[in-house]
Amino acid sequence: MTPTTAPRSAFATMAMRSYEAFARMSIGRAFSSWIGRLSGGFIILLVLTAVFAPWIAPFDFAAQNLMNANQPPAWPHLLGTDEFGRDVLSRVIYGARTSLSVSATAIGISITAGMILGAAAGYFGGLFERVVMTVVDLTWSFPDILIALIFVAIIGPGLTSTTFAIAIAYLAQFTRLTRAQIVRLKRETFIEATINLGAKPRHVLLRHLMPNAIAPVIVVGMLAIGDGIVLEATLGFFGLGAQPPTPSWGGMMSSGTAQLFLSPWVIIFPGVVVAVTVIAVNLFGDELIRALDIRDRLRGA
Amino acid sequence: MANLLEVRDLSKRFTSPGGPFKKARSMHAVNGVSFDLPKGRVIGVVGESGCGKSTLARLILRLIEPSGGAVLFEGEDLLAKPPAQMRALRADMQMVFQDPYSAIDPRYTVARAVIEPFEVQGRKPEASVDEEVATLLEMVGLNPGLASSFPHQISGGQKQRVGIARALALRPSLLVLDEPTASLDVSVQAQIIGLLETLRDELGLTYLFISHDLSLVKYFCDEILVMYLGRVVEALPDTDAPARHPYTKTLMDSTFEPDPKKRRLIAPLEGEVPSPFDLPPGCAFAERCPHATDICRTDTPALAANGGHAVACHHPI
Amino acid sequence: MLQVRDLGVAFGPIQPLSGVSFSIERGETLGIVGESGSGKSLTAMSVMGLLPLQGGRITDGSIAFDGMELTTLPENAYRKLRGGRIGLITQNPMTSLDPLKKIGIQVDAVAILHLNMTAKQARSRTVEILGTLRIPEPALICDRYPHQMSGGMKQRIVIAMALAADPDVLIADEPTTALDVTVQAQIIRLLDDLVKERDLALVLITHDMSVVAQTCDKVVVMYAGRAIEHGPVEAIFDAPQHPYTQALIGCIPRGLDGDTKLEGIPGTVPTVQNYPDGCPFHPRCTRAQDICSTTDPAFVVHEQSAAACHFAGAA
Repeated sequence: MTPTTAPRSAFATMAMRSYEAFARMSIGRAFSSWIGRLSGGFIILLVLTAVFAPWIAPFDFAAQNLMNANQPPAWPHLLGTDEFGRDVLSRVIYGARTSLSVSATAIGISITAGMILGAAAGYFGGLFERVVMTVVDLTWSFPDILIALIFVAIIGPGLTSTTFAIAIAYLAQFTRLTRAQIVRLKRETFIEATINLGAKPRHVLLRHLMPNAIAPVIVVGMLAIGDGIVLEATLGFFGLGAQPPTPSWGGMMSSGTAQLFLSPWVIIFPGVVVAVTVIAVNLFGDELIRALDIRDRLRGA
Repeated sequence: MANLLEVRDLSKRFTSPGGPFKKARSMHAVNGVSFDLPKGRVIGVVGESGCGKSTLARLILRLIEPSGGAVLFEGEDLLAKPPAQMRALRADMQMVFQDPYSAIDPRYTVARAVIEPFEVQGRKPEASVDEEVATLLEMVGLNPGLASSFPHQISGGQKQRVGIARALALRPSLLVLDEPTASLDVSVQAQIIGLLETLRDELGLTYLFISHDLSLVKYFCDEILVMYLGRVVEALPDTDAPARHPYTKTLMDSTFEPDPKKRRLIAPLEGEVPSPFDLPPGCAFAERCPHATDICRTDTPALAANGGHAVACHHPI
Repeated sequence: MLQVRDLGVAFGPIQPLSGVSFSIERGETLGIVGESGSGKSLTAMSVMGLLPLQGGRITDGSIAFDGMELTTLPENAYRKLRGGRIGLITQNPMTSLDPLKKIGIQVDAVAILHLNMTAKQARSRTVEILGTLRIPEPALICDRYPHQMSGGMKQRIVIAMALAADPDVLIADEPTTALDVTVQAQIIRLLDDLVKERDLALVLITHDMSVVAQTCDKVVVMYAGRAIEHGPVEAIFDAPQHPYTQALIGCIPRGLDGDTKLEGIPGTVPTVQNYPDGCPFHPRCTRAQDICSTTDPAFVVHEQSAAACHFAGAA
């Protein structure tokens, strides 16, 4: 990226800060309703839990204690123990780490690749655009699970497969969304004005098209993380995701099925957490859409 | 007076693609336009919707690639320039756009928008960035304190001034104004026009002024080109010149005076502007013209220079 | 025929219109002129009783139509008047017509509804009206859809719909703003002819002073929700009393007087939330004194016109 040749000045810095404040202000509006506060609050809590897991979890998630197996929720195991005597609460907390990091990484990869492809397709158009979109749409026609299974077959089960599977599964969505934004923005007068100043395509893309195209992508990305968590849990349920002893919500639910009538808490708690997480993500995503006022831009994808 | 701009036989053809169920159609948005723009003059291009004036503005600045013809800027053929040279040349020929509401990136502050030309052209302002921004804003009559504002925080008139400041940042010699006041209130329009007049005198600018408002063009411009369906039908050498083309006469008759004692008698004009895709042969105005004869429907009249007052008509008034 | 007195309109806590008065008789053309945000469209909506649709209500004043008081009229009675004896032509013909119905059906509907005609009678009336509006081949046009028509044609059809019920008053809200200049001239001429032929009362709302000069008998100048000057058209243009009117006329580019330099009005029109105290124009007025920012000016009469200004008079 070509650095600016005009020197950074107090004005420019203040300008950047004002822009950031404005962006924060809009996102801040998502917290103005109680739905926004609740769901946003839950998400923040979840992220903090995942980050500070080692400090929060009361027990080592892998510590087995067969004498204490299948204990119902009671002190000190607030959510009970599983068939190996491992503390369910600690495993749920560390499971958050797994789910969130896998999902966030995967969606991060997906957004990056999707935005690059979508922006290029939208900006250059023509045959290039058609080729890119056709290839990307092909990925869209595969069910997520199938893609995951293909990866598992090639690489083997584990977090890497899960990550790539989720990334590929959502690539089409981000590519389409970015392309739709770029195509819409290309027609705006300020783009014409920038070209008229003598700007190279790189400047137009990076300074004007991308920054204006980001907002809907970020929001969809958020919602996709929610989906990714479910996908990760699904794969984990089939034993294809995180491998033991790494805890994952899906894996816990899977092993919990065997004990369903003996110690139902092993499957219920991770299940509830997954459900609440997805609901919170979706609700907050809606609030974000309303706050950033981009509902119309999301129809184009 | 040297010509800043020479336009020769400029044309732009648009084709709507055919398919299995419809034929491909083409039309000329701009058809064989030629004129000279001497340095320091203001030429107005006036016409109604579909006449091609906005397309003409963009062809001249090479924002759209012409299908034919030549554009000579300070003697050099713009259409022969490779992209890098063209980009550098753009610093000298700028445009002020019709819609101030979308002409500035909504994420850019006023300061950033106004200093962007330097960034894009890889130049540094003589003074510091802040000083340059303040100078530019003052030049267009804006309070420098607005530098950190966003477009949505300022009024339409102020936005348009920012657009003008941005266009003038690199001190171009040519300014193309595409209906710069069409979306502004009358009182704000007058402010902007006053500003443009002052700037022209102070900076020695040359203007190409596109508008649908004939009274505004008559006030602001030295010469007037009248366009109809892609062609120049008349070139008035000064604003008092009488209309010689029937369409120009209709246009003048349709432009009301702000004086109840000077009410116009509006003659009925049949029909509407025809679609540019299915143009009948001959003069494009023939089917609506009260003076049309057979030759008008077969031969397209060329723009004939008439001692400075060119008309494209078989039966000029 | 139509007399509006001291009209005040509110949307929630905001008062976008106050103290608006004007009157119009049959055969007259009244021009309501003002820039954006002056409240002219709101005035039209108020007369048509369409305010509740947008969440507004009339707070003061009266609207008297042919002896009837409209501000207290119940909705079902209003519905009979709307589109019937009082017609409305809006700015954008593109959105006034139903894209899914043929033109003939839409115009017929007016006569069927308001004049209790049968479909056949309504259709012949439609063809007749379209003919008087100089729409070529009206019988064929009836079978076409709006998207097949040009802007000028659509506007004529909208006018036909307004005329079909034989109105006494026609309110035209910026009827030509979206049209080309030559088409505008045709529509203006059409409206002029209609006023003369049918003895209509035409309320023409516009931002274009030149249109007002061309076609109106009386003028009301609006600014920031108030009617700040009114009078016969000659008086308004020859001897405007209010500083805003004078400045507004000074903003119009005149081709012939090359010496008169265009003077804008510094500042911007205040938004509805920020109407100034006292006279709404005082922040931009060259004559403003202290009293202007505190006290609402009363109307000062000068011959046949009146201006709401503490310092009304020639420039």
